[in-house]
Amino acid sequence: MKQAIIILSSLLFSTLFYSQNIGLNLSIFSILTLIVLLISNTNKFKNKATIIYALLYLVTAAIVFFQHTTLSIITNCVVFFTLIGSITEAKSSIFVNWLNGVYTTVAGFFHRSFHFNEKEAKPILKKDIDFLHWIKLIGIPLVFIIVFILLYKNGNSVFNDLISQINLKFINMQWILFSVLGYFLFSNIINPVEVEHATKLDLETGNSLSKGTIFSEEDLKKEKQLGTTLMLLLNVLIVFYLVTDIIAISTSATSNAETLSNQVHNGINALIASIVIAIVIILYFFRGNLNFYKDNKALKILAFTWIILNAVLVILIAFKNNIYVSSFGFTYKRVGVYIYLLLTFIGLVTTFIKVLKVKNLLFLFRVNTQIAFVILMLCSTINWDYQITHYNINYAQSVDLSYLINLSNNNASLLKTYNDKNTLGSKNYNRINNKHTNFIQLLEDRSWQEYTYENLKETNNSKTHNY
Amino acid sequence: MNIPSNVGKSTLLAMCIFWIINFTKDISMDLAGFALLSAIPIFICVSLVIIITICPVFWFLKKDNVSNYAIAKKYFPYYIIVMFALCLMGIITSRSDVYSISFFITVFITTAQSWVWFAKENRI
Repeated sequence: MKQAIIILSSLLFSTLFYSQNIGLNLSIFSILTLIVLLISNTNKFKNKATIIYALLYLVTAAIVFFQHTTLSIITNCVVFFTLIGSITEAKSSIFVNWLNGVYTTVAGFFHRSFHFNEKEAKPILKKDIDFLHWIKLIGIPLVFIIVFILLYKNGNSVFNDLISQINLKFINMQWILFSVLGYFLFSNIINPVEVEHATKLDLETGNSLSKGTIFSEEDLKKEKQLGTTLMLLLNVLIVFYLVTDIIAISTSATSNAETLSNQVHNGINALIASIVIAIVIILYFFRGNLNFYKDNKALKILAFTWIILNAVLVILIAFKNNIYVSSFGFTYKRVGVYIYLLLTFIGLVTTFIKVLKVKNLLFLFRVNTQIAFVILMLCSTINWDYQITHYNINYAQSVDLSYLINLSNNNASLLKTYNDKNTLGSKNYNRINNKHTNFIQLLEDRSWQEYTYENLKETNNSKTHNY
Repeated sequence: MNIPSNVGKSTLLAMCIFWIINFTKDISMDLAGFALLSAIPIFICVSLVIIITICPVFWFLKKDNVSNYAIAKKYFPYYIIVMFALCLMGIITSRSDVYSISFFITVFITTAQSWVWFAKENRI
């Protein structure tokens, strides 16, 4: 039964992906994968987390069809690995799910070969078909026959003529090899495997810190003194930096793109260094027994203050980026700054919780990876090229058309409308028209496997125009 | 560890995979000669990869009471994920040229199978 499912799936895999770009095929593949997993691992789908990941996988499949952005494709792949990992072990952390998912997808077949070895000593009651033997029996003679035919062809003209009459061009060997790849993929995922070492370690390790066996009051006192002094000085320094930064923002009314860009990017660099060092220092001091030391209150308050001040720094940078965006519009880098700031802010909040509730490093890693996953999901729902273009042409004080034209085809229709309604220079006018024409041509040339929502929209548009 | 046997089997496997993929593009008499000659560079590549990247894991991490199977079970997943990432990077940077694709697929499958053969050696 399993073999039949795998073979059928691999043929569908080739039909969907061989010589095709990504489009409807990835969405259908996601549904197919889900059906295969559901049939072969029905029991695992009783778990709530697995059901949620399965639904998310379907959602990302739909997003790929509707948005057709690189980010949505990446998210679909990440959710695929998460789902596979969740089927392997539903209780493990999300990063272990990714590890198990990737491992299952790339090497499930080889992993099972190991386990075959382990069970060799046990009596085999029912002997399965020996596929390796059959492959050898057919493959090796076939390879040698082909080699010798190729050799004999040059030695005998009659033989050469006879062989030349055999026309095997109707067989597409690359399509067959692609099916083999599909077979390999489905045989890997149909029965998910786990990275035992990492999964076991993850399941055994909780989120809370426990008091160490060696507890020297003297050493802890010295460490606390060092930590308090360092935190105090760093707090003074960051307060000084923030005050000067606020003064700089309130006094300078900059309209120069370069100055604003420098301000934001320098701020980001400072922020990256500051936050990373802040978290590392906090994690160092609160790594063990100092959490349980009775006189650690001052150090904790200083650490909390520093986290809050770093959060203020994040807000200031966001404010500067906001000024920059309202003047010169969005670009991927500017959107990236917002996402980075959001992640940093969340990182600071989770570090705060870690210190407050005496959690370990793994807690921080688990929570942060989970939040990163959610943010990736949310970001994939947005058609960035379209939104960036929409904002820039409607709200930005100055528009960099060249940048917008160089984005993907997702904004082609929007630019075309903008082009038709406004008087642009002849160079940009032609470039936008060319982009739109190429986009329409691309849509028409697509096979059904490559269809996206844009195809449906354009078909509807052309029908409306015909009427 | 039976390294010569493993290298021999891996070389044959690598040759088969590499040329099967390449023959899907073009079967010609000229390539048949190359296919036979390629055994030498493939042997060298396979030997180097096995001796430099796989054997040290067993040599340095294997203790007296640990089997090859236990070592492979623990370290193979990490090795193969890294190898997959490197091969994928290689395929992407080579801009999907058939020779490069066949080379990297061969590397991936051969190294993975080589681990399996080492793990299946019944030694404790």
